[in-house]
Amino acid sequence: MSTPAPAVPAPGADTEGLQVAATEQARHSRLPGWFVILWRNGKCRIGLLMLGAFVLVALLAPLIAPYDPRGDDFPTSLAPTGGHWLGTTAQGEDVFSQLIVGARTSLIVGLAAGLLSTLIGLVIGLTAGYLQGWVDEVLSFLINLGLVVPALPLMVTLAAYAPVRGLWLIIAVISVTGWAYGARIKRSQIITLRTRDYITAARFAGDGTARIIAREIVPNMTSLIVVGFMGAALGAIGGEAGLAFLGLGDPQTVSWGTMLNQASLGGALLTGQWAWLIAPGLALSLLITSFTLINFGIDALSNPHLRED
Amino acid sequence: MTLLQVENLSVTYTPRDLPANRAVHDVTFDIDEGEFVGLLGESGCGKSTLGNAVLRLLSPPARISGGRVVFDGVDVTTASEDELRALRWTDLSTVFQSSMNSLNPVIRVQAQFADTFAAHRIPGDVTARATELLELVSLDRHVLRAYPHELSGGMKQRVALALALALRPKLVVLDEPTTGLDVVVQRSILTRLAELRRELGFAVLFISHDLGTVLEMADRVMVMYGGEIVENRTAAGMLHEPRHPYTRGLLGSYADPRLPDVQVTYIPGRPPDLSRPHRGCLFTPRCPHAEDACREVHPELLPERGGLVRCLVAQEDRLPVVRLGAADAAATIGSHFPATGALTDPGGTPDVVAEAVLSVDQVSKRYTTRRGLRTSTTDAVRDVSFTLHPGRVTALVGQSGSGKSTIARLVTGVERPSSGEVRFEGGSGPTVRVDRLRGRALVDYRRHVQMVFQDPFSALNPTRTVAYALSRPLVNFAGLRGTAIRERSAQLLESVGLAPAGQFLDKLPHQLSGGQRQRVVTARALAPDPQVLIADEPISMLDVSIRAEILELLGELVRNRRLAMLYITHDLLSARLLADEVLVLNQGVLVERGPTRDVIGAARDDYTRLLLDSIPNPFAPAKRSGDASVVRSAQPGG
Repeated sequence: MSTPAPAVPAPGADTEGLQVAATEQARHSRLPGWFVILWRNGKCRIGLLMLGAFVLVALLAPLIAPYDPRGDDFPTSLAPTGGHWLGTTAQGEDVFSQLIVGARTSLIVGLAAGLLSTLIGLVIGLTAGYLQGWVDEVLSFLINLGLVVPALPLMVTLAAYAPVRGLWLIIAVISVTGWAYGARIKRSQIITLRTRDYITAARFAGDGTARIIAREIVPNMTSLIVVGFMGAALGAIGGEAGLAFLGLGDPQTVSWGTMLNQASLGGALLTGQWAWLIAPGLALSLLITSFTLINFGIDALSNPHLRED
Repeated sequence: MTLLQVENLSVTYTPRDLPANRAVHDVTFDIDEGEFVGLLGESGCGKSTLGNAVLRLLSPPARISGGRVVFDGVDVTTASEDELRALRWTDLSTVFQSSMNSLNPVIRVQAQFADTFAAHRIPGDVTARATELLELVSLDRHVLRAYPHELSGGMKQRVALALALALRPKLVVLDEPTTGLDVVVQRSILTRLAELRRELGFAVLFISHDLGTVLEMADRVMVMYGGEIVENRTAAGMLHEPRHPYTRGLLGSYADPRLPDVQVTYIPGRPPDLSRPHRGCLFTPRCPHAEDACREVHPELLPERGGLVRCLVAQEDRLPVVRLGAADAAATIGSHFPATGALTDPGGTPDVVAEAVLSVDQVSKRYTTRRGLRTSTTDAVRDVSFTLHPGRVTALVGQSGSGKSTIARLVTGVERPSSGEVRFEGGSGPTVRVDRLRGRALVDYRRHVQMVFQDPFSALNPTRTVAYALSRPLVNFAGLRGTAIRERSAQLLESVGLAPAGQFLDKLPHQLSGGQRQRVVTARALAPDPQVLIADEPISMLDVSIRAEILELLGELVRNRRLAMLYITHDLLSARLLADEVLVLNQGVLVERGPTRDVIGAARDDYTRLLLDSIPNPFAPAKRSGDASVVRSAQPGG
């Protein structure tokens, strides 16, 4: 350029250079972009830190837990002491060790059942919404059935009459009863997305239905799917605790629900063992709180306007 | 008497993730009582932001960063919310850009009026007052009982206008009130607006990117560029002697399609990025008259020939003289715009017409709808026949609801006709009966027939890059794999004028301007190397200043690649510039057809003439000031 350092460069050089820079930046920041948005929200940051702590505890449970959670060779019904921070159970197990190991169960159930019910909801909701017609009629009937059947009694019945016991049964029961709500939301979202011009354009480009759903539509509803997953995971953690508290859980696994169940059976209140009762309850509420706090940040993911405050 | 004073107003957007952007910079103007002021500019130049700032309706990240707005003695910039509430709607109302969506979909029109009266404690009979207001905007009282979805776009816009006038405000801010409506409806709403203003005497701030409309309606016009007002003078003055090169460029987009020679121009380039500091005049990169001084000195808005202009060259009176007659103004300005591409109508005698590639033969389409217990039928298309030929553009013209888009769906096999045949004869095999295709055969057919969509903002998936969008037809139809896809994509982008292609391949749609997106959409349609291109209103969502650019591209593609194009539009000027043949469609029936110049130059059908008279044309009043009343009487009711 002949003019010395003009503020406005010649046409062509002007906007393009800037755009290339913007694209570069976007490419560098695309991966953690969602994380940055979550982290910036104060409530969400607290939630992430709390969840992170729980995950860490669950991963390192064998290292952190001072004793075997099933080992019952301690004095029974001890109040909190230096050796047993939260006391011992009526069977003589260490409550603190059970609490640490129990985090594993809750997180596994939350993750697995959350994923499973999100997946069921995604497949059924997207197929119904995209194909419409009689397929939609049939699937919508299923979704509505899933919505009206009261989940808790169904869960209790399924868990009580199942021929096997175990963690995976609980996960299956929770997934089967919990997918309908997410399916409903995803169906209505895809009904608005499927009429967009870019979907018609993809059909004109020769793409098939499965590819259009997976590559054109799903990326546009990521935040909805994540919110759905968080909700489902939350429900699953609560559901597992509920079933276990009612004595329908797997007696072989240590979870916060079975702890509450045994505390109640073992008469923790009568013997004055507050820690035995409160510790799993508190851990459960804190985990659920962390999910709720994270959801505040996920709102900002789906709605850019919320990112500004 | 001055009603609204805007003094040194600046508005800054400060998003968290992006650099701050001063959308409005140091803007000063007045509006007198009863004055009709137009505010013009391309999208992204800050005009809607300015309109919202006047109403103090800005929401974060936008905020007023300097100056003040005084309305009728009240400082709007510092007033409390309570004071503002008393002011808004009673004295200062608005019709929003998307006011079609500003009506609450779940309550009847009457209830929307009732809400407005109740909120401002206006006593009396709601029905009587609302009926009176609807009559003002030429709507029947039955509309009161309707829900918004039962009304057409034009009717909703009239309801929004009636609501804005409900409390007899002193100033109405109209933000693109007719964008998205077809020309005929736009014309009737604008005519009614002009009459109402004469009757009621309110002032108007009319925001639009459409210079044609603004110049016809306004007393005074302000042109905005890059967040600044660059010219401010009377509409008549602006029409006869535009002083800013940007205004001249905008004026170049208009012409009377009935003239024997039609020429329009466009302004190449894009508006400046306001998040970066600029020295000198913001328009310099796109200006054909720019001098060295323009790059160094930021011009002031100074009085010049009875108006205000922000241009060093004009202020020093060194702009090339433009002889501005009424009729050939566009051509004259065009010739003084050496840097712009000019688009002239194809004209000439048609060369030997090749065999038809697609024939539509006596096609009808009937829709059956169930309403309550009764079924009713609508004939969307009746007995339409036409053929498409390689290297020729056939324009299908009509207002919304005339059946244009139904024909596009029938031709592309999205829907099947109730009767008649659609035949494709361009393939290597035997003639394809498009009306009988299904499944795999339909996919194969689309190798030959592709579409350019109306809205470039919804035709590209916001989460997918340009490279992905282009790769799909290449993989599915051309069978390309691996690096060949990217090479071919780059060639396609270059063929639609996006060069160097490497800069565009990895971009997401939101990083492109409207014109660039429409070029990508066109490139994707060209990817399977089709023989027929259906363009459904490809320029109606674009700024007036860049429409000619896209038309020029489409015209070149048709002639260079021997494409047969069906160009669907309600805009006869663009049909005149692009098409060889015109079909005029009214309520599903072809009412007039023939070579473009004959149909448009000497329209025989009343409907064609109505479409022609509805085109906003700033030069028209000067030429045929007498027949404004004719235009008005030709409006369809409602």
